[in-house]
Amino acid sequence: MKHKGPVITLLAGLAVALVLLVVNVNATKRNQGGRDGAANVAADANATTPAAQPTTPPPTTAAAAPVKATFAGDVEGGGASLAIAVNNGTAIAYLCDGKRTEAWLQGTAADGKLNLTGKNGSLQGTFGSGEAIGTVTASGRTWGFALKTVKAPSGLYRSTANVRNATVVGGWIVLASGRQVGVLNVAGEPEPAPALNIPPGTSTGTANVDGTQITAVEVDGSQL
Amino acid sequence: MTADPGASTVTTPPAPASSGASKLLIPFAIGAAVAVTLGVYGKVHEPTGIAVNIAGFSGPLTVKVWLASGAFALAIVQLVSALAIFGKLGVSARPWVNALHRWSGRAAFLLTVPVAIHCLYAVGFSAFDTRALVHSLLGCFFFGAFTVKMLILPKRGLPGWVLPVMGGLVFTALVGLWFSSSLWFFTTHGVKF
Repeated sequence: MKHKGPVITLLAGLAVALVLLVVNVNATKRNQGGRDGAANVAADANATTPAAQPTTPPPTTAAAAPVKATFAGDVEGGGASLAIAVNNGTAIAYLCDGKRTEAWLQGTAADGKLNLTGKNGSLQGTFGSGEAIGTVTASGRTWGFALKTVKAPSGLYRSTANVRNATVVGGWIVLASGRQVGVLNVAGEPEPAPALNIPPGTSTGTANVDGTQITAVEVDGSQL
Repeated sequence: MTADPGASTVTTPPAPASSGASKLLIPFAIGAAVAVTLGVYGKVHEPTGIAVNIAGFSGPLTVKVWLASGAFALAIVQLVSALAIFGKLGVSARPWVNALHRWSGRAAFLLTVPVAIHCLYAVGFSAFDTRALVHSLLGCFFFGAFTVKMLILPKRGLPGWVLPVMGGLVFTALVGLWFSSSLWFFTTHGVKF
């Protein structure tokens, strides 16, 4: 008995691993039976709402609803924030440090994989189960990230406007904590963005740029 | 037909050398196979990004973080109880220390299994930065080293340093895994469930 103990321990671990693997494979199959292999995001976006969690004891829920989710958080190291809006196969991401560095990226989000490119950056990763994991490159630097889904008013906001004959493009990431990270690009020059005021229950915000009020709308991942 | 009783003794393999080396060969071979298998699976298997969650946690990442932290805490128990067993704490070990070491080890190991499955199945072997690479390598190493530790435990007549060294490697690997994952999570995302 004493001699078999360690081997039994190993076999028990192996058994647990196999059971979990089977459960995971089944969960994947269920999810991929949904829409385009990433329906789980919508399911999990629901699961992350605190109110829904206790009422759904089974940890995985499969839903055939359209995939629409926004992931947001700080990149590894905390040097910048990143938001990825996924919408039925397409995705838009925005990386920004709230000071000068920013990058708008566009691409695909299919089969649980993210592949985005932009003028000065790119993003690769996987998403599902309420999280997006991968790497993002912008302005020659690369960061790893592991983001969670966020819900309104947290998310990604963008504004394009004309202020005193200058094209102004603003990007704001509203994190789960409510903290805003944004950069305002005025005629190609990035600067810290002014605070975005988002009235409760809406998906648009307003900000004041040199006395002019601009409107930012939530980016849903379909198009910029 | 002309079965010579003496012939059978010729075919029996020579008795293994009494040194520990031969006794360690098979456990280490199996442990290496485990580590390599995990690494290859993690690299070849297409990460799904999908994994089951445990009710009560906000997501698979937080589940992993807390399971790993549980294993980390038990690993500290492992270290202390091992020191007691080897009489390094200055007091003679009580009999229950053996049981404590055995069961805390089993619990720690079982806690790491779901974490590893999530890593391998949903994320895969990753080398996108130093932290991910170190974590991936340590993860493969940990399960290989643990397998070796388990397989050599019942063997008698091993050099005295073997078990402490293997235990130390397993412990170090687990601590490294925790630092490269859970501590990273806590420091970048904050402590949350």
